[in-house]
Amino acid sequence: MKWLRFLRHYGPIARNDNMYDETIQRSALRGGIAPIDFEHPMQSRILQCFNAQTIAPVSVILTGTAGDGKTHLCRQVWAALGGKSDAWGSDSAYLTMQHRYPGTQKGVKLHFIRDLSGWAPQQGAEWEYEKEQLLQTFCDSLFTPDPDDIFLIAANDGQLVESWRRLKETETVRRTRQVFEDLLVEDRQEQAGVRLKFFNLSRTSSAELLDRALQAFLNHPGWQELKEGIPAENEAFGPKCPIRQNYELLQAPLVRSRLRSLLELCDYNGLHVPIRQILLLLTNAILGHPDVKDHLMVASDVPKVIAAGTVSKASLYNNVFGGNLSEVRRQGITIFDYFERFQIGYETSNRVDNILIFGEADEFLGAYFDEFVARDRFYGADPRFYAAKQEYIEGTDESEERPQNFLQLLISQRRGLFFKIPKDKELELSLWELTVFKFAGEYLDDVIAVLKSNSFVKRPILSRLVKGLNRIFTGMLINSDRELYLAMSGNYSQAKVSRILIERVSVDPSKGEKVILRYDPSNDRVLLSVFFAPELQVDFNLTLIRYEFLSRIALEGALPASFSKECYEDLLAFKSRLIAAHTKREEKERMPTGSTIGLSLLTLTDEGMPDPKFVEIAP
Amino acid sequence: MIPLPNSLPIPETFDQSSSMWIDEAIWGHRLYDEQLPWMVFLEFLNVFLYELGKQRAFEEPNGLNTLKYRAAHRLYLRNILFNNPGLAEIRLTYPHDANRWDEWLKRMRATATGINQPQFNYLREHFHTFDDFCEVVSIVRSTSLEVNSNKRWTSKFVFPYGPNCLYEDLDNTASTNDRRFFGRTGEVLYLMLCRAERKKEVLAALRGHLAKADRTWDSIIKRLQPLDDDQPSGERANAFLAYAQHACFDALAEDWLAILRLNISGFDVLPHLVNLAGLHVISYQLTVSRQMLGLDTPLSFICEVVAPKKTLVRETSCDLYQENNLLPARAVETVILGIEDSPEWQQAITENGAFEKCTRILQDKVRWGEEYDGPSDPGQLMTALRQAAMKRHRQHVANIHRNYGREIGLISKRGTTKLRYAPTDGLLKTLLFANVEKRVELHAFLGRLHSRYGLVFGDKEAEEVLAKGDFDKKSFQANSRRLEQRLGSLGLLRRLSDGCAYVVNPYHVVSQ
Repeated sequence: MKWLRFLRHYGPIARNDNMYDETIQRSALRGGIAPIDFEHPMQSRILQCFNAQTIAPVSVILTGTAGDGKTHLCRQVWAALGGKSDAWGSDSAYLTMQHRYPGTQKGVKLHFIRDLSGWAPQQGAEWEYEKEQLLQTFCDSLFTPDPDDIFLIAANDGQLVESWRRLKETETVRRTRQVFEDLLVEDRQEQAGVRLKFFNLSRTSSAELLDRALQAFLNHPGWQELKEGIPAENEAFGPKCPIRQNYELLQAPLVRSRLRSLLELCDYNGLHVPIRQILLLLTNAILGHPDVKDHLMVASDVPKVIAAGTVSKASLYNNVFGGNLSEVRRQGITIFDYFERFQIGYETSNRVDNILIFGEADEFLGAYFDEFVARDRFYGADPRFYAAKQEYIEGTDESEERPQNFLQLLISQRRGLFFKIPKDKELELSLWELTVFKFAGEYLDDVIAVLKSNSFVKRPILSRLVKGLNRIFTGMLINSDRELYLAMSGNYSQAKVSRILIERVSVDPSKGEKVILRYDPSNDRVLLSVFFAPELQVDFNLTLIRYEFLSRIALEGALPASFSKECYEDLLAFKSRLIAAHTKREEKERMPTGSTIGLSLLTLTDEGMPDPKFVEIAP
Repeated sequence: MIPLPNSLPIPETFDQSSSMWIDEAIWGHRLYDEQLPWMVFLEFLNVFLYELGKQRAFEEPNGLNTLKYRAAHRLYLRNILFNNPGLAEIRLTYPHDANRWDEWLKRMRATATGINQPQFNYLREHFHTFDDFCEVVSIVRSTSLEVNSNKRWTSKFVFPYGPNCLYEDLDNTASTNDRRFFGRTGEVLYLMLCRAERKKEVLAALRGHLAKADRTWDSIIKRLQPLDDDQPSGERANAFLAYAQHACFDALAEDWLAILRLNISGFDVLPHLVNLAGLHVISYQLTVSRQMLGLDTPLSFICEVVAPKKTLVRETSCDLYQENNLLPARAVETVILGIEDSPEWQQAITENGAFEKCTRILQDKVRWGEEYDGPSDPGQLMTALRQAAMKRHRQHVANIHRNYGREIGLISKRGTTKLRYAPTDGLLKTLLFANVEKRVELHAFLGRLHSRYGLVFGDKEAEEVLAKGDFDKKSFQANSRRLEQRLGSLGLLRRLSDGCAYVVNPYHVVSQ
């Protein structure tokens, strides 16, 4: 049972975050348990900086947010280069070792600052002399041809910038600060002429981290030991135990696949999930229950939960969204904040709610109800659910509270459906309408997967995006999708309604113009590219939310401001860039301008097709 | 705080429409509340282009406060655009092109105002069909200013695409500039730039902007006017700016320069110039007030980034708004008190013929007293002056802070019932573009906003400005976090990790 106790350390309990890695290591050592461990995707590249044959050794900075694995990676490097583990076990944030790069004669002194925030002075205090000198040495080493000191520094980006600002301003300090700023804001790893490699761990794919974490988590020997204990029926990890059920659900391919999709979608919305948050998610998913201490079950809680008949409250499907925690707690945790943006459990369709509420007795929906709800003895329809449903339908109770109760249960069931609807029924049951991003499934399967395999996205999708763009660019409910309409209002480039047509860019390749979707592997993004000429293009980062925005505008005639003001501003800025590029092209082809002024004015036919009217004003 | 320089002397030929000279002596002739920042800018453009044409832009060759210029009227254009209600109806009722023209020309001949024997036939040369003409008029109207307000038609303005679009405000009969909406604040703005240190650079930047501008719409609007429609107005004079130099003039010039040097395309720059003009006029009025009152702390605006519920920041902002709003009136009071306490006055009331002597003093200093018909007692005289001055001040000059502030997006009631400082997205963008060259760390940006304008968003600046009892660190930290999110959603912020963010100017010019 000590495995379950140990596991709690990873969960959403209150703790001192700065010493997270240390606390876990110590607790693991005390309990004789191996911590959850896996190789970070960037580990080998980082190690290579120190143990590969090289004539130009570089210092390394590991940056990212809290929980990205910086300190952990530092330890890996320390161990790989022969450092003693008890030296690392001390509390010191600063360690050194002598090191010789393979194939070279010269040795260097390797300085490890494994936590800059723990090592730097407090807010408002001055740097201590020795520490300041050390950092000056670091700055110098970046620009010298043959350094004797190499550094590995782990710091979150805010701390990095802040610390450097407090150093005494010498030329090298200033240069170093500028390098940091450029690399961080422009998202680069190195700068020519600077002896530094920058690893921003926040750029790692959250989905990939999930894959590795899940593997390590599920295969941990702690689980095997629990099973081997041959627990009794009502005991922890017995046949009725929710912890065991959750553990098995987490192994199911469909559940893993949906979880992975959620994290992929976070990536494509520019939201990175650190390792610590992923482990928190998994721990909470398995151990969560609203009624126990810290909302995480331990072995002794299980018999009580079973006796009280509240096993369904430990639903993994609900725990994934932090449903077992209090609202205040949940809102303070990054991963649950990100997942909340999907609104899973709150969004729904008539179909889905009909299945859940009336499906039991319905001849058409009955099969679905059976498959997804009735047969799930743990988290589907248990006596609590049936009773609440009955009361809800018959409306026997006059108070506000009871129907609310059922609606809460409904949220949990919808979340369950998100993880239960199989791939082949996704379309039929409109799986993604259970989230706020109705087009997410299409985005993952028909756009990203297709582009990554070097194929072409289906034409109707591109047409839809173009139609969405046209509606925003002109401010009218235009139905055209063969050409991209660049329109202005006469004075401002970002006006809401733009009737004056500047240019129509062909979507199909024609005379150097085209509009395509492509994938950029260097930073894992989907781009919508508009080509005015073979060497003149403007790219637009098509995140999930922008994709959803454009699709809704095209298909549903939604008003731009009602879904996302931020997206609307982004798209108007994109239009400005397009118009600027067009102007550039026109400058190159300097055509003789007569003094008759011609204007193309846009109006729409009744069917919403563009009807440009040409007006001339003679001198 | 830097002490206020001496106010410039009252010009000999001062505008007879001023019944006294107090507000004018403190700030200028004049700051007018019904002339909102866009109108200020249009009036400024009229002056600027005229002076530019005379090769003396931003110079005062005949001495300070001797500005004389002329503005166009363009009544043909204005009648077509804004005094033309029958256009749509004619288009519907008359099917043939020729009929439409005939009917319309007939109507315009009868109803056009302000033109001697109006003749609109020249339009037929420019447009193939009446329909085309209607489309163009409609587009020009759609970008015009004050089109949807219920202001008189002579106070509606075409967007300033170029020199052919500029004209001055006129009264209902379209004959004179009654100073209703072109109340001289644009002229004052012009004089401010004449006295800024970097005026030559501003001139070069403005000329550059004019040269680069797309002439299409200016040409179209020119074609809506007959070739000989040059009836410039009479000479406009009597603008007065109270100081030969002031830090506010330089600040205005710097901000305009910063904006004009960015990579912002076409006419998108104008709203920013307008916002900054409004902001600096407010700043000028309040700063001078503070200097006059001898206050040694600088001007401050506690800004709330709108929160869903009431916060301490909002309360503090409301209070400070009220305080600032009263500053100009207090300055006026100080001037009057200054006269009362002056050795001259104190001397005069003890002498024989005190009343006549005092009357003369007032006539001399503030050009007031002719209509006074109360008791011949210096005390009563002074009381009457005080009453008249405060009443006059409250009618217009006192409202500048509130009116301009609301117009540029600095002051609002959004989310509550009282006015306070809550910058809109538009104003935030303007401030960012004017103060961030390429990129700057967020806290440095907040510091800059504080040192240049007195704007307070975050806890560090608030701590400096507020008394210990009024300051709550947490609310101001939450305030700056909300600002961070706002700037993020406008695409102007790069967030690194907790506590570290960079404000980015997307229009910065990459130097070669």
